[in-house]
Amino acid sequence: MKRSLRSWLWRVPLDQEFDEEIELHIEMRTRELVAGGMDPRSARAEAIRRMGDVAAFKRACVDLGKKRDREIRMTLWLEELRDDVRFAFRQLRTAPAFTLVATLTLALGIGANSAIFALVDATLLRPLPYPNPERLVTIWEKSTGTAKGFASPPNMLDWGARTRTFEKIAGFTPSVGQMVVAKPDGSAETMSRQWVTAGIFDVLGVPPIAGRTFTADDEQQRRRVIVFSEGLWESRFNRNPNIIGHEVKLDGELWTVVGVVPKDFEILGNTSMWAMRPFVNMPPRARAAYILQVVGRMKPGVAIDAARSDLEAVATGLSREFPDFNTARGVTLEPMHDTMVGSDLKTTSMLFLGVVGFVLLICCANVANLLLARATARTRELAVRSALGAGRRRIVRQLLTESVVLALIGGAMGIGVGAAILRIAPVFIPDGLLPGTVTLQFDMRVVAFCAIAAFVVGVLFGIAPAWQATSFSSPEVIGADSRTTTGGGGRMRSLLVVGEVATAVLLLFGAGLLLRTLMAVEAFDRGFKAQSVLSMLVDPLGSSYPTPEKLQGFFDQVEAEVRAVPGVQDVAWSSGVPLGDSLFGDYPQSYEIVGDPPVDEARKPRADYQVVSSTYFSTLDLAIVAGRGFDERDRRGSPRVAIVNEAFAKTLGGRDPIGMQVSFKPADSTSAKPTTVEIVGVAKQVKRRPDEPKDFVQMYSPLSQDLSDDMIILVRSQTGRASALTPSVRAAIAKIDRDQTVGVASVTTLEDVEWQATGRHRFRAVMVAAFAGLALLLAMVGVFGILAYSVQQRMRDFGVRRALGASSGDVIRLVAGNAIRVIAAGAVIGLVAAALTGRLIVSMLFGVQPLDFWTFALVTLVISVTAVASIAGPAWRAVRIDPAAVLRSK
Amino acid sequence: MAKPQPPLKSPNGLLHGALDALILKTLSRGPKHGYAIARFIEETAGDALLIEDGSLYPALYRLERKAWVEAEWGTSELGRRAKLYRLTAAGREQLASEMATWKKFSSGVAKVFAT
Repeated sequence: MKRSLRSWLWRVPLDQEFDEEIELHIEMRTRELVAGGMDPRSARAEAIRRMGDVAAFKRACVDLGKKRDREIRMTLWLEELRDDVRFAFRQLRTAPAFTLVATLTLALGIGANSAIFALVDATLLRPLPYPNPERLVTIWEKSTGTAKGFASPPNMLDWGARTRTFEKIAGFTPSVGQMVVAKPDGSAETMSRQWVTAGIFDVLGVPPIAGRTFTADDEQQRRRVIVFSEGLWESRFNRNPNIIGHEVKLDGELWTVVGVVPKDFEILGNTSMWAMRPFVNMPPRARAAYILQVVGRMKPGVAIDAARSDLEAVATGLSREFPDFNTARGVTLEPMHDTMVGSDLKTTSMLFLGVVGFVLLICCANVANLLLARATARTRELAVRSALGAGRRRIVRQLLTESVVLALIGGAMGIGVGAAILRIAPVFIPDGLLPGTVTLQFDMRVVAFCAIAAFVVGVLFGIAPAWQATSFSSPEVIGADSRTTTGGGGRMRSLLVVGEVATAVLLLFGAGLLLRTLMAVEAFDRGFKAQSVLSMLVDPLGSSYPTPEKLQGFFDQVEAEVRAVPGVQDVAWSSGVPLGDSLFGDYPQSYEIVGDPPVDEARKPRADYQVVSSTYFSTLDLAIVAGRGFDERDRRGSPRVAIVNEAFAKTLGGRDPIGMQVSFKPADSTSAKPTTVEIVGVAKQVKRRPDEPKDFVQMYSPLSQDLSDDMIILVRSQTGRASALTPSVRAAIAKIDRDQTVGVASVTTLEDVEWQATGRHRFRAVMVAAFAGLALLLAMVGVFGILAYSVQQRMRDFGVRRALGASSGDVIRLVAGNAIRVIAAGAVIGLVAAALTGRLIVSMLFGVQPLDFWTFALVTLVISVTAVASIAGPAWRAVRIDPAAVLRSK
Repeated sequence: MAKPQPPLKSPNGLLHGALDALILKTLSRGPKHGYAIARFIEETAGDALLIEDGSLYPALYRLERKAWVEAEWGTSELGRRAKLYRLTAAGREQLASEMATWKKFSSGVAKVFAT
């Protein structure tokens, strides 16, 4: 103990301490030598000589002394901390109800935050799991329609051949399709696969864990080669290395398995295998097939700006060489990490982070309130400690230790809450929101986040109560009756609750807007019925159908065969599905009405172009609002016709579209010959995306007059369960093509497409609503807390009032009055904040304005109802006070 | 604590550990200031152990850091303020163990020399 006091009591600076010691030593030695007969002057010189190198010794001593003092202070600090922590635990044990409520509140807040942190960490913070990920860049093909379009294979190859800043460039198809895997017993199943170009594994730097990846030779030889994912290799082949070199029958063709790549690679698409698509000797029109997402690895030391100007120059060259296809087409570069994360995920993550941050603040306010109430009760204890010599700093530190201990317990429980949230969260996360197989995991980073959050939170909610609790004058407090010490804490507690209510209202408002968006998206009339329609991508592979007649024959036969399947109501072909991907990608047509004054190419209107069979409209229950649908008159060779949608018709300024001649050609192409068609009908408007801000302009062309070889077959079921038809429809297709050269892929129902398209709205709305509900609950617990406490404190007051004739109504008014002021202030502040900040989430809204009246009204209603609920209990208690009993009690 | 010690001069190569032990032994007879410790060692050991006076102090600071001795201000024979060093309980234990080690060491050496 003496030792630990040293640094506090010993006020002499270290170097002075040393000098004094040495001086005394020299003096005493001098005296000794003088006593031995030396003259004083030489005695002192001798004494100094015998000291040795004093400067060196002084340095050593001051150094040692500094270390010693530091260690002493540290020990002292640790000892105090240990005492404080021990005392804190004892304090918390004496108030188990308080401890339970406070730690549970914190566990909820910290748990929710840790789960959202895991989401943000997995997506925004971590680099891509490839070597030197900063050198990976996504290269989009830029057109007048979009800055980030997919690239055509010939363009990708030319970029790779002409660039000076990239090591290598490769591509993959963004969507994951299905392949039919023939099993030895004759049955078949579908597995997900993704098309890639030969160099993709080299670009990403993924080495195979068995066998090899694709080579340029594979591509030149047009080999049918495939690479398995580690997951598939493990689950299906038990990591058997003999699978390498084996052939598997996929979509009726034999493919050679050349290698296996690690799980990390699945980030491109959540799939189990990658099939190489060779791009050699492509026909010229392939330059207009925008199907690849392209990624390049920059050479070491190249900045993305340099790569951008390099590729822009290459693209300019290509525009000159291929004016038919590449006019006005350029490139857009962005770091691959940005592509993988996507702006949608980024905004969603930031939204959630903000929301849970607010929830945590409310938790803090609640616990701070509990602490304030306790501090009031503990005023006497603290005053006594202060009177016994504990300084204010010391008491504040003790109280802060208590709150940090409380927060750390809450944080430890929060780890459990967060882990539980992460366990059930994947159910609610829509497909495609997270890139590839990014999994949410609860690892040390999240635990560390919890610990730091708990510590910060502990200081945050502890500091105000600690300060409050120590601002007293001890003689006054010790002498006073405990009932009169309700003082200033009350105002701070009310302010905290006002803040809580305001925050909860703000969150409720955000949740309301997102829920209204979800309702708008779901209730929106999309113009067609998605229920019980099965959709499959049919891809007649190979060269079995060289002529348009043969291809048409194939489509007709399949349609007839599928129509004969029991349970099938209608069958149609289409190049795209509403809300889903279009097989043509982003490929708008520019058009003009024949007979209208000519318009400059750049200013021509644009329309989306969809090829459908005549039964498309009946299959999707899509109404023809004017004119006729397609029928057997619209054959190959007969005059070309088209159906336009309502948005198209609206552009005509009131003229009747039926009978008009429209001339169109691919937008941005200078040399493509325009096609002229006659409008025979107007179809109802459909949505291409569920939250499209503007109706899009569309033209339909009959399949018979514009054949293409990849088509989606749409099958409407009579019974409703569309997916149940999958095997029989597939069998019917196989009947037509006995060699199984029909690749059936992308089996899904339109309901699934629809569900997925609205998934992110649902995810956001559900999550934010859940957190806002939690916030509201916590805020009302806060209101309830101060009310119950003040009723408790004013028992005697109420008793006297009742005794003097106050009615129940008077008492209720007294109790509720303050609460209503607090809630109203909070609600007004919250609504004003909501009105001011609503613009921040406008990009996530659809069909609702940030200042939506109904949301305002609904939030006000919700807050009023919950306010009444939280006031009712304490008010009831105050009414039931028995004046006689209270007055007798003291 | 396993940091390299600052270089100290000790003319006859007296080991740090040995000097520390001597100081502890000296202080076992009661609190002393630096000069008194130096005098005591001179008088008891005669000329056998010659140390620079100054080298005593780093040793004392080191011992204080290890909490084997503690310091307090007292009054010297000259009536001046003097820093007095006192052996702590831990220091006493350390002294006992060092003396035991030394005894074993010296008797071993003596046995070898006696052959």
